[in-house]
Amino acid sequence: MPEAASHSPGTGKPFPSTPKAFAPEDEAALRESLKRCSPSTFESAVQFRKTGNPEHVPAIVIGVIERFVEPDLRVKLKDADDDLRLIEDLGIDSLTMMEIVILVEDVLQMSINNDELRNLRTVGDVKTFIDCKIRGLPLPRPTKFIPIEHIGAVMPVQPPFLFLNEASVSSTAANGKYRISGQEFFLQGHFKDNPVMPASIMLEALGQLAVLYLLEGAPTEPGKVVSAQTIFFTGCEGVRAHRVCRPGDILTLSIKPKRMKMPLATFEGAIRVGQEKAVIVEEITLTYAFVDAVNAPVPINGAYAAPEGENGAMPADAPPLRAAINA
Amino acid sequence: MARVFITGLGFVTSIGNDATTVSRHLRELRHGFELFPPFQKPDIPCKVVGTIKDFSTDSPDPEDWTFPSRYKIKRELLRSMAPNGLFAHCAALQAIEDAQLKEADISNPETGLYAASGGSPFLLHHHHQRLQKLGVMRCSPLGIVASIVGTLNFNLVAAFKILGASCGFSSACASSAHALGYAFDDIVLGRQQRMFVIGAEDGNVDAILPFAGMRTLSLQTDPNLASRPFDTARDGFVGTGGATVLIMESEAEVARRGVKPYAEMLGWGQASDGYNVAISHPEGSGSAAAMVHALRASGVRPEEVDYVNAHATSTLIGDVSEARALRSVFRDSVPDRPVVSSTKALTGHGLSLAGAMESAFSVLALREGFIPGNAHLVNVDPECQGLNLPRTTQERQAGIVLKNSSGFGGANVALVFKRA
Repeated sequence: MPEAASHSPGTGKPFPSTPKAFAPEDEAALRESLKRCSPSTFESAVQFRKTGNPEHVPAIVIGVIERFVEPDLRVKLKDADDDLRLIEDLGIDSLTMMEIVILVEDVLQMSINNDELRNLRTVGDVKTFIDCKIRGLPLPRPTKFIPIEHIGAVMPVQPPFLFLNEASVSSTAANGKYRISGQEFFLQGHFKDNPVMPASIMLEALGQLAVLYLLEGAPTEPGKVVSAQTIFFTGCEGVRAHRVCRPGDILTLSIKPKRMKMPLATFEGAIRVGQEKAVIVEEITLTYAFVDAVNAPVPINGAYAAPEGENGAMPADAPPLRAAINA
Repeated sequence: MARVFITGLGFVTSIGNDATTVSRHLRELRHGFELFPPFQKPDIPCKVVGTIKDFSTDSPDPEDWTFPSRYKIKRELLRSMAPNGLFAHCAALQAIEDAQLKEADISNPETGLYAASGGSPFLLHHHHQRLQKLGVMRCSPLGIVASIVGTLNFNLVAAFKILGASCGFSSACASSAHALGYAFDDIVLGRQQRMFVIGAEDGNVDAILPFAGMRTLSLQTDPNLASRPFDTARDGFVGTGGATVLIMESEAEVARRGVKPYAEMLGWGQASDGYNVAISHPEGSGSAAAMVHALRASGVRPEEVDYVNAHATSTLIGDVSEARALRSVFRDSVPDRPVVSSTKALTGHGLSLAGAMESAFSVLALREGFIPGNAHLVNVDPECQGLNLPRTTQERQAGIVLKNSSGFGGANVALVFKRA
């Protein structure tokens, strides 16, 4: 599976290969463009334009995002981690995203295509994206959204023991949702006349999301894929349940890889219901192994291509995502 | 058929930014004109504008604008507004408070919003310049919704979470009168229980100055003499901007909420000149027909009308045309009835805003029991003789008021209001 998504023309072009001379009138224009940003944002932008040093980029990007966030939400950006979500946490809609992009383009003197923006969901996504563009690196693989039928097709675990309704997987994290329907067989006995989702099952759900990450998002070696038959639970640490979850609750699950070294993959995980913490897992560790790509079934990628491409069948050697985009 | 009442008003106008101030200035005949700083240049022949006070919208960037601190507007809403959108938003907040509407009264499928403005030539020009200078991908994603005709309804419907009917009206200076008429129909027909009707204009250089090219603007340099409807010495209209919001409700809603309305709207009518793209019919035939239609639809005889708030803008042709229309409609009426005045002598001509603004003036005067006089009128143009044009405000209670509006293309609207 290729690490980088295929790009639109023009992306991945390093900028600036050599910084352009930064004239006083450029500084005046930059000051005008950034007049509603913090002074440190302006300073970082001046430094970047003078030196082309990409280390200034995160401060500029955060400064520009901050300028477009409602004042009462700006505090969230102060010590934001990269998981801070643009829409849900910062109230940034697609139009505001465009405003951010136009200002970033203006300040960094770069061009960003519309289709490159769709996959940016978190502050971390934006920082990584801009950084890759500046350094001329291939863009990270965009987050994939995986509907229930594809989860079922890919996962070794099956109903009635599958606890994911939908999921999204990127190369750095996986997120999922599960709605406690009340029809789960174990709720008849857990507890008597008092259905409560078992904490052990919630841990299982996080484990399942980690399995999906290994199958769909994890980096592999060339010509290899992770074999679904090789993934097993080995251990967990620091599990805490904070909230009783009942039928009707929608569990929002998230995992992030902490360490990946064959044959062990360690993740941190969390479950929320709305904004309330439900379960935190400091570490959950799975074993896994690779098999040769040719021997592995590949419904995983084929699932994302439209059933009928332009010419009917896709060339067998086409990188899956490119095939999907061309379809 | 449902009866329709006006239950809330909001104003950002050259003669005041709240109903109390507006009412006082109407009664005392105090105008809102000033020498407009951007017009004080040798190559600009007209000098006077009905200015909006306490608002500054000179910058094309809404985040630079200043407005009274009692209005809190988030950047998210402000960024897509034209100046007329800001004025209207503030006026709508006043009207909502005035009508004592709760959030649930505003955002429901039975409550709609009709609006009229000429868009924002100012912002259209700004964004178009940016497009040409920096390329299309550096243009604000909100440039279009902030500037094209319709910007007013786009912004207000989204900001106030309107779920009922919504539409913009574009018949130039008859626009917001049309909006009132169709809003009335929607309530009468039971399609809606409540309607917001809004007229607004930027009132800045780009909105007003193009009319100088038509030679329709007054070139007077004295703010006290510039707007003189029906006067021999009138020489054109004075531009103005701002916003006015009227809230109209069905009888059932008025009863349910237990509020005291300003006035009842009885009906309306319209007719066209079919004559010229910009010049009024010399005999005022369309305007007369609109008044006849409005009175017939309202079940009102001409002699029952106490006051006509005229469209008269202080232009040479327009005022005469309307005077002739009024004489023909009221020729068999009781002598000296109705009283006729044009409040544009105080405010200037608000273009798309005019119909809503002057209807709101009319119902305000109905509730407060006075009839505004003709400010600045010294010598009545002989062509406008035969009308009762008092120079001073009449301290008496009118029963029925007729409001005229006319726009380009010879569109004429007449609206009828009754004391509630």
